[in-house]
Amino acid sequence: MINDLFNILLPQTCLCAFIIIQLLCSMFLSPRYFRYARLLSAIGIALSTVLLSTVQTEPQYFGLKNSIMSDSYTLLFHFVILLCGFFVVLLTRNLIHEQKRNAYTIQALLLTAIFGAMNIVSANDFLTLFVSIELLSFPTYFLIASDKGYYPKEAAFKYLITSAVSTGVFLFGVSYLYGLTSSLNLSEIYEFIVESEPSLLYAFSGVMIVLGLISKLSIFPFANWVIDVYKGSETSILAFLSTIPKLAMFGILCRLLVFSLGSSIELTFVIAIVSIITALWANTYAIREHNVKVIFACSAAANSSYVLLAACLVSVYNLSTVIFYLICYVLMNISVFAFLNITDSNKIGIETSDFKGLFHKNHGLSIAYAIAIIALAGFPITSGFVAKIYLFSAIANSGLIFVPFLLVLLMLTVVALYYYIKILLPLFDIAEAKVLKTVYSQKFVLIITAAVTVLIGVYPEKLVELCRFIAYNI
Amino acid sequence: MEKLLSIPFLIFLPMFASFILMSPFFTRNEIIVRRFTKGFCGFHFLYALLMLAFFDSANPYTDKISFFGLDWIQSIGVTFSFNLDGIGMILAVLTSFIFLIASISSKLNIRKNHKFYYSMLLLLMASILGIFASADMFVFFMFWELELIPAYFLIGGDFSNETHPDAKKSAVKFVLFTFFGSMFMLLGMLLLHYYNYVMTGVLSASFSDIFANPIPDSIQLLIAICFLIGFGVKLPIIPLHTWLPDAHTNAPTPVSIILAGILLKTGAYGIFRFNYQIMQDSFVNIAPVLAVFALINIIYTAFVAYSQTDIKRIVAYSSISNMGLILLGLCALNQIGLSASVFHMVAHALVTSGLFMICGIVYLRCKTRDINSLGGIAQSMPRLFGFATLIVMASIGVPLFAPFISEILTIMGALFSEAGTALKFTSVFALPLLILSSCYMLKFLHCSFFGESENNYKDISVHEFVILASITAGLIIFGIFPSVILNLAGGQM
Repeated sequence: MINDLFNILLPQTCLCAFIIIQLLCSMFLSPRYFRYARLLSAIGIALSTVLLSTVQTEPQYFGLKNSIMSDSYTLLFHFVILLCGFFVVLLTRNLIHEQKRNAYTIQALLLTAIFGAMNIVSANDFLTLFVSIELLSFPTYFLIASDKGYYPKEAAFKYLITSAVSTGVFLFGVSYLYGLTSSLNLSEIYEFIVESEPSLLYAFSGVMIVLGLISKLSIFPFANWVIDVYKGSETSILAFLSTIPKLAMFGILCRLLVFSLGSSIELTFVIAIVSIITALWANTYAIREHNVKVIFACSAAANSSYVLLAACLVSVYNLSTVIFYLICYVLMNISVFAFLNITDSNKIGIETSDFKGLFHKNHGLSIAYAIAIIALAGFPITSGFVAKIYLFSAIANSGLIFVPFLLVLLMLTVVALYYYIKILLPLFDIAEAKVLKTVYSQKFVLIITAAVTVLIGVYPEKLVELCRFIAYNI
Repeated sequence: MEKLLSIPFLIFLPMFASFILMSPFFTRNEIIVRRFTKGFCGFHFLYALLMLAFFDSANPYTDKISFFGLDWIQSIGVTFSFNLDGIGMILAVLTSFIFLIASISSKLNIRKNHKFYYSMLLLLMASILGIFASADMFVFFMFWELELIPAYFLIGGDFSNETHPDAKKSAVKFVLFTFFGSMFMLLGMLLLHYYNYVMTGVLSASFSDIFANPIPDSIQLLIAICFLIGFGVKLPIIPLHTWLPDAHTNAPTPVSIILAGILLKTGAYGIFRFNYQIMQDSFVNIAPVLAVFALINIIYTAFVAYSQTDIKRIVAYSSISNMGLILLGLCALNQIGLSASVFHMVAHALVTSGLFMICGIVYLRCKTRDINSLGGIAQSMPRLFGFATLIVMASIGVPLFAPFISEILTIMGALFSEAGTALKFTSVFALPLLILSSCYMLKFLHCSFFGESENNYKDISVHEFVILASITAGLIIFGIFPSVILNLAGGQM
C-alpha cells in the first residue's frame, strides 16, 4: 500500500491534499479571500504535474491489489488532463467572482473532477472505474449548476439524468461480463477472453459497457444532453466539460477496446454505426443554429464521433492517431472557450451576430480565436490539419469496407466548415465593436493554446513520434 | 548559382513578405504597402524567370526541407519535398507574372484595408506556387487547403467602395465547393497512401514513390474518380462549376484575374499530376469519358456565355469553356495533346487576365457591367478599344496569337489520339468551338464598344496601358514563337 503510494500515486495524493485544503478554506476562511482560491488550485495542479515525474511506468505497475495501473499511456493522459485542468482553473475567474462565497468549494469540486478523471484513465478494475466515473460526474453536476440563473440548473439536472441512465447501462454490461468471466479485473478479463471462444453474450456486454461509457462523449444514444448543457453552462465549465471528461473516457475506452473488449466484430460495427449517426446528427443540427455555444456543442459531439470511429477500428496505428487527435483537439477547444470566456466577461452575447466587428478592435485575440477555429475546421498550418489527415488515414487504413464511413465523415467536415465559417466571419464584418477587457490569465491561456496549435501544425513530428511510442508500448 | 535558385526560396519568400505586411510594425501607408508589394512581385517574377533560364529538363529542381533533421511527419512518410519539372516551372513563372499584373492593377480597384489585401495576395501566391512545386501528396494537399483562406478573404473581403453585396456569399460558396472537392481528394490520397504501403511495406507519400509502385487497377479507378471530383471542382468540370461565375463576377478585378488566370489552372495541373501521370493505367480508361465532359464544358458554357448580359460573367463562362479545351488536350493522352494543353494554360491565363482587366476598366469608368447599357466606349477610349480588339481576337483564336496554336494543337492531339474513337469524335465536335467562342466574344466587343454614346470617358492610364500592353505582347510573342513552351512541356511524357 505505502509502496504503491510512493511508486505511482503521488500526483493523485497531492491533488487529494489540495482538495482537502480547499474544503478547509471554504469552511474556515472568510469569503473576502476568495481571490486565492484559483491560485491554490493552480499550485495544486502544478505540483501534481511535477510529481508525475516520480511515477513508475517501466515496466507496467499494478497497485492497490491490481485495481490501478500505471504505464506510459496513463502517464501521458494524466499529463494532458492536468494541463487542461490548469488552463481551466485559470479560466474560472468570472465564475468565482460571481460566486465569492463558494469560490473555494467550486475549486475543490474542480480538483475532485480532475482527480476522478485521472483515476478513470489508470483504472484496472471495473469497480475502480465505476467509482472514478462517479467521482468525475458528481462534481460536474454541481459545477454546471454553480452559475447563476435558471438554465445552469436545468443543464445540470439533464446531465445528472443522462449520466445516471448511462451509468446504469454501463453497470448492466459489467454485470454480464462478471457473470461470464467471474472477475472485475481488466487484466484477468483480458486473459479469460484470450483463452475462450468469442460469444454473442460477450459482445453484448461489451456493447453495453461501451454505450455506457460514451455518454460522456456525447455520442448518439445519449447525445441530446450536450445541446442543453452547453447552452446553460458557464464558459470555463465548458472548457472543462469539453476536454477533461473526453480525455478520461477516451483514455479508458481505447484501453478497453484494445484489450478487454476488442476482439468482437459486432462491437466494432455497433460503435462505427453509432458514431456515424452522431456525426450526421451533430453536423446537420448545427447548420441552423445561431448560438455559438450550441454550435460548439455540436462540434464537440462531431469530433468525438470521428475519434470514436478511429478508436473502434482497433490497431496500434489507430491508437496513436487517436491520442494525437485528442491532444490537438483539447488545445483548440480550450482556446475557443478562453475567447468565449473573455467575451462573456465583457458582457457580449453568445449569438453569432454579437461578435460582429471584434477583429477590428482586438487583433491579437481575434487572430488566436480564428486560429483555433480554422484548426477545428482542419486547415493547414494548424494542428487540426495534421490531426485530421492522421486520424482519417487511420480509418482509411482499416480496410475498404470502412471507406463509405470515411466518405460520410469527410462530407460532414464540409458541413462542419460551413458552421465554422458562420462563427468566424462576423468577427471580420465592418461594425461597431468594443475593445475587450481581459485579464492576464485569460490572455495567457488563449495565446498559449493558439501558439501551440500553430506549433504542432508546423512541426508535428515530435508529438506524432511520442504518440506512436505510447501506442506501441501499451 | 545552384544554391541561389532554390524552390523553398521561391515559395516561402512570398509567404514571408506576406507576414511582414501583416505584422503590426509595418506601416499602414497605402502607397508604401502597394509599392512594396509591386516591387516584391517584380523581384519575384525576375527570380522565377532566372530559374526558368537556368532550367535543365534533364535535371529538374528538387529540394527538401527537414525540421531538425527529421522530415515533416516522418512517422507516416510525409516529407516536405519539392520538385519543379518543365510544366511546374512554366506554371510557376506564369503565377509570378499574373500576380505581378494583379498587384499593379490593384491600384485602381482597391480602396480600403490595403495592408490586409496585399498580405492575402502574397499568401495566395505562396500557396499556389506551393501547389505547383510540391512533390509530396500531403504537402500538395496542405497548400491546396491553405489557398482557400486568402482566396476567401480576397473574394469576399471589403476592399473597394463598390463591393458587390453578394461577394461574401459567393466567397463562402467558393470555399465550400472547393472544400467539398478536396475532401474527395483527401480520400483518394489516403487510399493511395495506404495501398502504396500495402504494395511496398513502406509508408510514403511522395509522388515518385507512388509513381514507381502502381496499385491494382480496380482500386486505382476508385481513387482516380475521387481525384477527378476534387480537381473537377477547381477546373471546373461542368456539373461542379456553379461557384465559378459568382466568385469571378463578385470579386474585385485583380482577384478575378488571379482566379481565372491561375487558380483554375491548379485544377488542370492536379489532373495532370495525379490522374495523367501517377495513375496512368486508370486514366486510359477514364480519358474517353472525360473527353465527353470536356466537350460538354466547351459547348454548354459557350451557349450560356452568349446569353449573359454582364460582361464579367461572359468572360467567366468563357473561362470554363476554355478549361474544357485544356481538359480535352490532357485526355488525348499523347505528346501533342499534353503540350497543347499546357500551352493553352498559359495562353488562356494571358487572354482571360486581359479580358478581366478590360471589364474592370470599363466598370471603373462606366459604373455598370450591363451589356445593354454599355456601348460607344470606343469613341472616347480608342486605346482601350485597340487593346480590347487585339485580346478578343486572340481569344477567338485568330492566327498569330497564342490561343490559335493551342486550339489547333489540341484538336490535332485529339484526332491523333489512340485512346479510342470517342476522342476522334469529340475532336470533330470541338471544332465548332472556334465559331461559338467568336459568337460570344464578338458580342462582348460589339455591344460594349461600338455604337454611339454621349458620355466622355477618360482613356486608360499608364498602369492599365502597361498591363494590357504586356499581356498583348505575351500573346503575340507566344503566338509567333510557341516552341519555347511546347518544348518544355513536351519533355514530360
